[in-house]
Amino acid sequence: MFESIVLWLAAVFTAPFFSAVILKVKAFFGGKKGPPLLINYYTLIKLFKKGSVYSVSTTPVFKMGPVVSCAAALAALLFLPLAGHMPVISFNGDVIFVLYLLGLGRFFTIAAAMDTASPFEGMGAAREAFFPIICEAAMFMILIFFYRLTGELSFAAYFSGTGTLGLWQIAGPSLLFIVIAFFIILVTETSRVPVDDPATHLELTMIHEVMVLDHSGPDFALIELGSFCKLFFYAAILSGLILPFETGIPGAGILVFIAGLVIVYLVVGIIESTIARYRMDKVPQFVLTSFALAFFATIITLELIQ
Amino acid sequence: MSHFFAAISLILAGGLVSLVSARHHLFSRAGATLLISAGCVWGLAAAVTTLMGSVTHSVSFQYLNLFFLAFEMDTLSAFFLAVIFLVCLMAAVYSFHYTQDAAAPVKTAVTAFFFSILVVSMALVVTAANIITFMLSWEIMSLSSFFLVIHDYRKKENRYAGYLYFVFSHVGAMFIFAGFGIFYKYTGSFGFTDVHTLTEGAKILAFVLFFIGFGSKAGVFPFHVWLPHAHPAAPSHISAVMSGVMIKTGIYGILRIYSLLELPAPAFGYLVVTAGVVSGILGVVYALGQTDIKRLLAYSSVENIGIILIGMGLGMVGVASRNPVMAVLGFSGALFHVLNHALFKSLLFMGAGMVVHQTGTRSMDALGGLLKSMKITGFAFIIGSLAICGLPPFNGFAGEFVVYLGGFQGIALDKIPFAVSVAAIIGLAVIGGLALACFTRVLGIVFQGEPRTEAARNRTESGTTMLWAMGGLGTACVIIGVFPGWFFNLSLSAVSALNLGYARIPVAPFAQITGHITLGAFVIVLLVLGMAGLRSWFYRAKPISRSGTWGCGFTRPTPKMQYTGASYAFEMVRFFRPAAPIEEQHPPVAGRFPASTRYESRVHDIAERCMAPGVIRPVQFLFDRLRWIQHGDIHLYIGYILLAIVLLLFFI
Repeated sequence: MFESIVLWLAAVFTAPFFSAVILKVKAFFGGKKGPPLLINYYTLIKLFKKGSVYSVSTTPVFKMGPVVSCAAALAALLFLPLAGHMPVISFNGDVIFVLYLLGLGRFFTIAAAMDTASPFEGMGAAREAFFPIICEAAMFMILIFFYRLTGELSFAAYFSGTGTLGLWQIAGPSLLFIVIAFFIILVTETSRVPVDDPATHLELTMIHEVMVLDHSGPDFALIELGSFCKLFFYAAILSGLILPFETGIPGAGILVFIAGLVIVYLVVGIIESTIARYRMDKVPQFVLTSFALAFFATIITLELIQ
Repeated sequence: MSHFFAAISLILAGGLVSLVSARHHLFSRAGATLLISAGCVWGLAAAVTTLMGSVTHSVSFQYLNLFFLAFEMDTLSAFFLAVIFLVCLMAAVYSFHYTQDAAAPVKTAVTAFFFSILVVSMALVVTAANIITFMLSWEIMSLSSFFLVIHDYRKKENRYAGYLYFVFSHVGAMFIFAGFGIFYKYTGSFGFTDVHTLTEGAKILAFVLFFIGFGSKAGVFPFHVWLPHAHPAAPSHISAVMSGVMIKTGIYGILRIYSLLELPAPAFGYLVVTAGVVSGILGVVYALGQTDIKRLLAYSSVENIGIILIGMGLGMVGVASRNPVMAVLGFSGALFHVLNHALFKSLLFMGAGMVVHQTGTRSMDALGGLLKSMKITGFAFIIGSLAICGLPPFNGFAGEFVVYLGGFQGIALDKIPFAVSVAAIIGLAVIGGLALACFTRVLGIVFQGEPRTEAARNRTESGTTMLWAMGGLGTACVIIGVFPGWFFNLSLSAVSALNLGYARIPVAPFAQITGHITLGAFVIVLLVLGMAGLRSWFYRAKPISRSGTWGCGFTRPTPKMQYTGASYAFEMVRFFRPAAPIEEQHPPVAGRFPASTRYESRVHDIAERCMAPGVIRPVQFLFDRLRWIQHGDIHLYIGYILLAIVLLLFFI
């Protein structure tokens, strides 16, 4: 229990660091030196020190937005096994709970955006409401796949202890589909290229960033922290899938886990550097691909198990 | 049972008092509210005691020396009774200030009278124990609600809504009659007890007939066409009752018939899950396309009926594939959602009622910014929205979670049950996502941002009892969401009346589920409070100022520039265009000095569209051809009667 809480805190505190890896990769591809790896901490500290300006159109919901979305991301990490250790909390069905928890965060992010009466933020909110619908369907398809393999409905059963899911086991070939499907979900849910561009500067084309345009100071810091943690959450699941090694040596599990995380973040960075954002009306097709992949994987496994 | 009848008499007395004293407006309203709510509280207490004691009461009276009016209250009836009385209690309280209209005291009194009849007839429907009693109560229920739908009869659209409702409820009743006809043919009695002796084919036919009949009351796609017209037309507390509980009598009917038939045919489950997934997804897609706030809520009822059907269908699949855990999870999840939907949907309708009452418009795109001046309504509406999206820690999540667990039980099965369970789970996930989009849209357009027209500017809320009713329902949503254990046990107790063949349902594994929901809810609440504390710590002694919204360099924004409801939903509805065709009217801009143009879009309901050429026109054509029968000559009519009697004599 104590170990799990320490790991959870470590995850929350290192999430900004890993996000900086993406920036480094992008800078490398751009032939630049890029910001230091601790840049996100500097940003957070700077934001926490500042005051805020609130729009006259807003209500208390606007202030609840960052609080709830950040709390939801932190709570999601509580349920996730890190480096093969038991999570802080785990129960049968916690996967569904966590998915709906992230939905709660999304609800408040959207509500906070709609609070500002800004046309651009409404636009971003509409997109933020749309794309995750398909993601959620794909996510549940993946859960169905996991349930077929393990007969369990909790993250702890998938990624901690022995007998975990992994690319190198018997269901590995079909898990490859799942890994790709999950990567698409990661990209969509955490507002990354090619679905969204976190570095864009035109409000018309933004999704997540335009929704938080009006937030400033500590509020904005909470939003940033929440999105770092959300990215870490998805990356940790992927890391568990691609490098599910049980070394038996104490401490080595964590190193393998971190290696997996770095791979995921590197791939996100490489993709961000090499392809452009899709046209908004093409995005649903891209996201639907993840559902199709998960569906195929499940069909394949049906034959495999019997 | 005596408590039940006492409660009903009290409610009826409330309606009568209001009618008799219609001229004394205040007295009439107060009398109706007091007596109806007292009756509801009494009935609620009786129902909950029955539920917790798991006892069955029955009673019968002779009627016309020929038939018996038999009533029976088992735990399934008691569960529905509890939901009915709870929501009607809140609606009665709400109505005290809502129906305040000194200009038309008689109309108010008549509404209160029909409301009391509606409550009583719903209570009788779920306790009826033979065919005569059931159909009698069913018809009274349909008729009394018909009069409530045409409450505002001066508006043409309301009369149309009432007409549509009348036709649908009676066509539905005809299907139910046909089903009961099969029962009577095989058992030779009006009672329900011997129904399991039917042949298998008769059972399947009867189930399909009942499913159509009850489905049209419940608002199952494609028999939901009346629902989005009728619910907005009624006064808001009536919409709350119709949408929150009256349509659930259809669900009760399906469940009751299923348990009477005692035929665990898997096809029932497949049929019900399919109907559930289709109603769920299309209901919320159409809800997304609405511009009228009450119509939107009505369509969202179609969606929630879908979720309930998914749960019931999973339960039936579980029974058919001999998986008791799946069966119990499916049925109890569905029943739990019946309770939850009744609470949050009536809360949302009451919130919408307050908005309509104060602004005088139902069009969402004319509203905006109401949260600032209508704080209690606004926050109650937010709680309702969170609950209806099925987000933790609110009650909607607790119900859907149980249904999900039931669905995952089916994943371990093979072939068709597996495919059906996959459809159920993915359907629920899509419904959840779309509901989130739908209700952030309502919230964002109606309650947040800036007022779009004068109608929404500086509107305050009024009516203490209206606020009390909403506050009570909102609190219930939160309490059930955080501590679902006791309430879930009530639905488990109702499932035990379903004749599933499991002697006793072991409560332990299910208590664990609700315990987990409570644990999860505590985690969220603690973390949110923690973050809120952190936030206020960071904000201590900080410069905080207010300014306009960042307009991306544009300095003269107007409220008209806000994102509208139509644009918010456009992409999502377009994704479903085969089922939800969008009609746009937009005269192109032409010439050097173009005249002003306009844009109009409408999302069509495919069931309504296909119903006209597919059903209504052929029927009209047929009856047009048969018009010569109705001659207008009285002698001919007497001849018809004679002919009919002579023909009937041959059959006796």
